[in-house]
Amino acid sequence: MILYLFTIAILLLIAPLLLTFIKALKMRLLFKRPLPLLQGYRTFAKLMAKETIVSEEASQMTRVAPFLVLSPLMVTIFFLPPAAGGAFYVSFVDAFTITGLLALSAFFLMLLGLDSASSFGGMGSSREAFISALVEPAMVLTVFSVSMMAGDLGVGQAGVNLVHHFPKEHMASYLFAAISFFILLIAENGRIPVDNPETHLELTMVHEAMILDITGVYLAIVETAASVKFVIFASLFASLFMPFGPGLSAPLALLVFVGKLFLIAAAVALIEVNTAKLRLFKVPNLLGIAIVFAFLSLITFYVLGA
Amino acid sequence: MFQFDTLSLVFVALIVLGSVPNLFYSFGYLPHIERKWHYLIHYFAFILSMLGVVTAGNAMMFLFFWELMSLTSWQLILTEVKEKRTIDAARFYFFMTHFGFVFLLLFFLIVTDGDLEMGFAQMRGIAHAFAYPTLLFFFLILGFLSKAGAVPLHVWLPYAHPAAPSPVSALMSGVMLKVAIYGIFRFLFDVLYPWPLEWGVLILVIGALSSLIGVLYALSEHDIKALLANHSIENIGIILIGFGMGMIFDALGLKVLSSFAFIAALFHTFNHMSFKSLLFMGAGSVLHETHTKNIESYGGLVKSMPITALTFLLASVSISALPPTNGFLSEWMIFQSMLGSSHIDNMSLKLAIPFAVFALALTGGLAIACFVKAYGITFLGLHRSANAKHAKEVNKRMQTGMLLMAGVVFSLMLFAPWYISHFDAALFSLGHASVYDTIFPDGVWRIHSVAVHGGVVSPLVLLLALVGVTGALWYGYKALRVKERIHRTWACGYRTGARTQYSATGFAGPIRRFFNWLYRPNEHFEKRTLAGHATKFDRSHYAVHVKPLFETALYTNAARLANGISYWVYRLAHFEQTRYAAMIFNLMLLVLFSFRIFAHAFSWATFALESVVMIISIKVLIIGDKK
Repeated sequence: MILYLFTIAILLLIAPLLLTFIKALKMRLLFKRPLPLLQGYRTFAKLMAKETIVSEEASQMTRVAPFLVLSPLMVTIFFLPPAAGGAFYVSFVDAFTITGLLALSAFFLMLLGLDSASSFGGMGSSREAFISALVEPAMVLTVFSVSMMAGDLGVGQAGVNLVHHFPKEHMASYLFAAISFFILLIAENGRIPVDNPETHLELTMVHEAMILDITGVYLAIVETAASVKFVIFASLFASLFMPFGPGLSAPLALLVFVGKLFLIAAAVALIEVNTAKLRLFKVPNLLGIAIVFAFLSLITFYVLGA
Repeated sequence: MFQFDTLSLVFVALIVLGSVPNLFYSFGYLPHIERKWHYLIHYFAFILSMLGVVTAGNAMMFLFFWELMSLTSWQLILTEVKEKRTIDAARFYFFMTHFGFVFLLLFFLIVTDGDLEMGFAQMRGIAHAFAYPTLLFFFLILGFLSKAGAVPLHVWLPYAHPAAPSPVSALMSGVMLKVAIYGIFRFLFDVLYPWPLEWGVLILVIGALSSLIGVLYALSEHDIKALLANHSIENIGIILIGFGMGMIFDALGLKVLSSFAFIAALFHTFNHMSFKSLLFMGAGSVLHETHTKNIESYGGLVKSMPITALTFLLASVSISALPPTNGFLSEWMIFQSMLGSSHIDNMSLKLAIPFAVFALALTGGLAIACFVKAYGITFLGLHRSANAKHAKEVNKRMQTGMLLMAGVVFSLMLFAPWYISHFDAALFSLGHASVYDTIFPDGVWRIHSVAVHGGVVSPLVLLLALVGVTGALWYGYKALRVKERIHRTWACGYRTGARTQYSATGFAGPIRRFFNWLYRPNEHFEKRTLAGHATKFDRSHYAVHVKPLFETALYTNAARLANGISYWVYRLAHFEQTRYAAMIFNLMLLVLFSFRIFAHAFSWATFALESVVMIISIKVLIIGDKK
């Protein structure tokens, strides 16, 4: 139980660090002077100290939505597969529920974007709705496929099963599912081929456009939600597609787990440096690839058993 | 005459749950209806006739109440006859509902051998003796699905529901469509029971198509009630996906999975009743205050109509299948039953199920987009018209109706196990395996899937966790004592106004563009440019209208064909009167010849000879000489 809570605390703590790490690595690769790794925490502290400015056009939704954006993600954090062997895990939530909780968070984020009557907010919400509608089927199919290989739909149990029994005999469909899930990780977190998290050109933004009109603590909450979402996806990827490590002794296992998270962050940074952002109407092509790989994964599993 | 078995009682409960909040709402709405007596008589007759349908014990009673239900709802659509569109919608509804009725009548005439007062149980023997069971199945689904609004018989919903007064659209969409689902349950189980695999596959395909097409047309819709009507098509599709999975599993002998899928379908039937009624009530309140159905002229209503906004939000979250609401639970059960497809041995069927999963998941994603649009454009942002600005909260009785229905939504979420135990009992009474103990092996806290390696979900824990975490965060925020300043929205130096907000058309823009091949929209774009500049203009107008593809492809062409035929009949009918005798003679000749050809041994020689005789007689007697 203590190990479980400790893991959650670590995940929450390193959430801003991971995003800063991606940014710093990108800057390093672009021969810029990288920003300090503690920048994420500094921004958070700065935002927490500020007063909030609420738009006069906005309704009560602006005051409520930030909490509802963060809380489903916080709840999801408690349901992730255990990082260390023997750690307590919550077994009564399955992968569909996690998909649903992520969608619940996105739902309120989109409403937040529409609330302040700014056309940028509407634009961001509209694009987010478009992208997440196409992410949903890929996500469900991938989850469907992984659950068959792991022998359980509950993510906690699936993570444990995969550690004990790596699906060597289903390597093909396992890899297809991994590719599909990685594309989803990029799309859902608004990383570069889909959305540019650092841009200041409103016409290209998705996530940033939705939160253009919130400030102070509310902004801190929504930014935290974005980093928590990345941690959720990264640790799901780490547990389901890199299932090694939890067998070690607890401190070492946690270290390996955090290392895996940083590895994923580094991979994301490398992709971001090497690709250009897609036009909005090219994004479905990328998500189409995710859907096709998810289908392939299921079909190879069914037909070839491989 | 009447029967009250568990399935009937479950649906009686559905009708009661759907009607009682509606009564409150309806009485709040009544002062705005001109023909009060007309409305009240038909309204109560409508509710009673629905109760009659689900408790009818023989074919005669069933058909009587079914027709009464159709006629009263038809009259209710005609309550406020001001526009020609209402009359058109009512005529369309009248036609479609009787189109279905004909097939039901055919079905009953065959399975009862003409004795319409026979009980349902006796019909099974006759149905089994009948040589073409698939024909019976087609009669059945044509009859009921035309009422339920499944593709391709769905086209009347987006016309009829917006035309009716809001309490009636809530009843029609929330409850009447479910009575058709009852019909499918009742007669598939009682009369046509051991069904072949193909029937289940057909229902699954219809369900998947309905859900996708419903949600796609809902997205492109700007009339809020038509949007909700299209979502009814989607949800009927979801119910049919669950139903089809149940039929497939049953045909394959997987009894437990089959019961699970049917329970999921029944549960979604209840859930759709609750949130769709609530949504129609909310839409009705908004319509009542702003006097327009066009979503583009709403906006900012959350400030003036808090109760409507709150209940509408609850229903939106639920219909978008977001946890921990009841809509999520039933959709989760349907997903779980699809996951049970790994038990299927038939490889081609097994490979087909992921496509249904895909359809259902895409539907879920698009439904979220659609309800963000519906809620965000209606209730958030700035007022988009003067009417929206002067809107105020509706009267207490309408509010009570909405709050009660919100209570039904909540009860379906909180007491899901209790409801499921009754669905389980209903299926048990139909001769299916009882799965309640498998779904809830350890108390009511967790819902288990019956599939091997299936998932587990716990709505109550999720709800408590979400409320707890949100509460803790909010408490933390309050403890910080953050100063707050009100300032206008920053829009890069421009002034934010009602007209610069994102519109519903714009919101659905990317999705509409992606599905352009399906929508084939009519776009109107006009721009008044200044002094010949292409980029400088002082006025521009963009409107897009999506005409349903099915309607143009299927119905308009059918209507054109009927028109063509009737033209020829008209031409024939306008000869001078002496030729009528000749026509009658020729018809009799035709009937006699056809009887000879089909009843006796068929031979090409007699067929050719009789054809020649017919043609000569028509030429000489009817067409005559050209003048």
